[in-house]
Amino acid sequence: MHTTRGTTMADKSKRNIDPQVRVDRLREEHEQVVKGCDEQILHWKKVSGDYEALDDRLRTLPDHLSYDVMVPFGPLAFMPGKLVHTNEVTVLLGDNWFAKCSAKQAQKIVDHRVKYVKGELDDLLKTRKNFEARVGFTEDLKELSNKGSYVDIREEVRSRETVVTKGKQRVAHKPNSKPKLDTVLDLEEVEEEGKGVEADEEYCKILSEKELWARLDQLEKLEELQDEEDRLSDTGDTNGDDTTSSSSSEEEKEADCSQPEKEPGPKTSWATSSPANGQLVSQAAPGGDTTKDEDEQEEEEEDCLPTIYFSHTVEPKKVRICTGKNTTLKFSERKEHSLTHSKRKKKNNGTNGHSHHELHKITSPVDIYRLFVDVKNGEPVPRKSILKSRSRENSVCSDTSESSAADFDERRLVGRSVSHDDAPHSDTSDGHTEDDSPTALPRTPSRFEAFSGTVVEKDPMPTAVPHLTIAPPALPTILERKQEEGTTDAAPPVEPPKRVSKFKAGRQNR
Amino acid sequence: MAEALQKKLQSELEKYKQMQKDVSKSMSARQKLEAQLTENNIVKEELDLMESSNTVYKLIGPVLVKQDLEEAKATVAKRLEYINGEIQRYEALLKEMEKKSEQHREVLSSLQQEYQKATGRAVAKV
Repeated sequence: MHTTRGTTMADKSKRNIDPQVRVDRLREEHEQVVKGCDEQILHWKKVSGDYEALDDRLRTLPDHLSYDVMVPFGPLAFMPGKLVHTNEVTVLLGDNWFAKCSAKQAQKIVDHRVKYVKGELDDLLKTRKNFEARVGFTEDLKELSNKGSYVDIREEVRSRETVVTKGKQRVAHKPNSKPKLDTVLDLEEVEEEGKGVEADEEYCKILSEKELWARLDQLEKLEELQDEEDRLSDTGDTNGDDTTSSSSSEEEKEADCSQPEKEPGPKTSWATSSPANGQLVSQAAPGGDTTKDEDEQEEEEEDCLPTIYFSHTVEPKKVRICTGKNTTLKFSERKEHSLTHSKRKKKNNGTNGHSHHELHKITSPVDIYRLFVDVKNGEPVPRKSILKSRSRENSVCSDTSESSAADFDERRLVGRSVSHDDAPHSDTSDGHTEDDSPTALPRTPSRFEAFSGTVVEKDPMPTAVPHLTIAPPALPTILERKQEEGTTDAAPPVEPPKRVSKFKAGRQNR
Repeated sequence: MAEALQKKLQSELEKYKQMQKDVSKSMSARQKLEAQLTENNIVKEELDLMESSNTVYKLIGPVLVKQDLEEAKATVAKRLEYINGEIQRYEALLKEMEKKSEQHREVLSSLQQEYQKATGRAVAKV
């Protein structure tokens, strides 16, 4: 025990010495301990041998009554003597305690002591083994430190900041995003994704938590703002507000920017459906009223495209509807946008949105027709030709898609001027239909009326129905419309919304 | 300055040495106590082996004094108690001493550094 303590002390005092020397010293100390153990073991072995001899003597001592022995007389002389009382022994128990006892009892005591000695020996052997192992280890250590063939594998623990911050970020986002889902799903998704990308990028750049949090706060504020906007737009939709349209259009624009990357799938699907539509139109075109209706629909759809982009402020609702219808058209670039728009409409407007929008737009197909006519330098005929140009060009003139696209761009340009002009034109030309869109705020019922007027034109719609049926109608949307119909008008208005609904249903399904 | 430091260092060193001596002394005392403890333990065990017929003696000076067995057992037990108490006392003492010596060592090392610095500077100046 003493030796070990000594080693620790020595180690402490030699701390500032280089490791090699320290290892050597450690080994030395260990060896010393082992040596000490060996010595003690020897000592105890001797003791145990003595005890064995004593035990032997004690066993044979009482065999005779007396022994003739040479008694030591001082350090130099022996005297002949006689050993009597052979069965009477005085034992030194230790600490100056003596006990007089028989040889048998003495043997017991000897046994006891031998036991103790054995235990002591065992302990010593154990410690010696232990320290021998340590000596071996220190030898290995020495070898390791000496030779360069062994390399320490060390893995440094980086700060866990990144992981922690990630978790926090998510937590921060969730509460804000949830309430939004109710109002505007798509928009938020888009925004969130955009933000997510931004955040990721920034995340890479930002190292400190502070910055991260600041960024988060900023984003939250933005989200709140958008939330408000969305709410406004929602209320506006119910009321038929212009303001809503503006905000929604903006949102849509935002969505447009982000959307194209997201939805490549739907695009293709629509492309397949659109040609069919075009064929239908071309077939119907030569016919009478029915064909006219079809054309008008087509016109609406096609016309909507330009309006979407440029007439947001003037006739926001139209824009929306147009976008919805655009999807059916062949223009691939627009389709993506239209898809997103339509989706958003569905989510934004929920129950009431569809019918209102349709009312705005569809109020009277004729009106729309006129609008476009107006756009085309006032003459209805040229306008018609333009509208049909796409469908007919595709079928008859075999215009390439590129040309059509170019057409489209032109139209867009025209559309801008037209859209602004549109409002006044429509006002002058058509009483209620065009009035609706610009001033629409309080007048939901009037729109419905206007719609009822249009109903007559849409009666022929059934012709289109079979084509529409291709896309399985979404039941919930239809139900909603029916409710609206019940509130607004009896039979006639039902059809146009239905038609629209089927389109939308088709989109939804996709 | 260097000399003053040296003096201080020397005195500290002396103190430290004294302390080390004390530590080792109490250490050896403790070890003795330990040995006595084991011895007395053995005695106690062996006394337990005795029967009432056996006579027990205690060596006091040059004389063996006869003792009653029960009495002897009691005394041995008391002695054991005392030894245990002593051992604990020494344990505490040793701990305290070790603490002190540690502090002393730190002081010493700092002093040594100062001294080395001072001498180094002096050498540089010279």
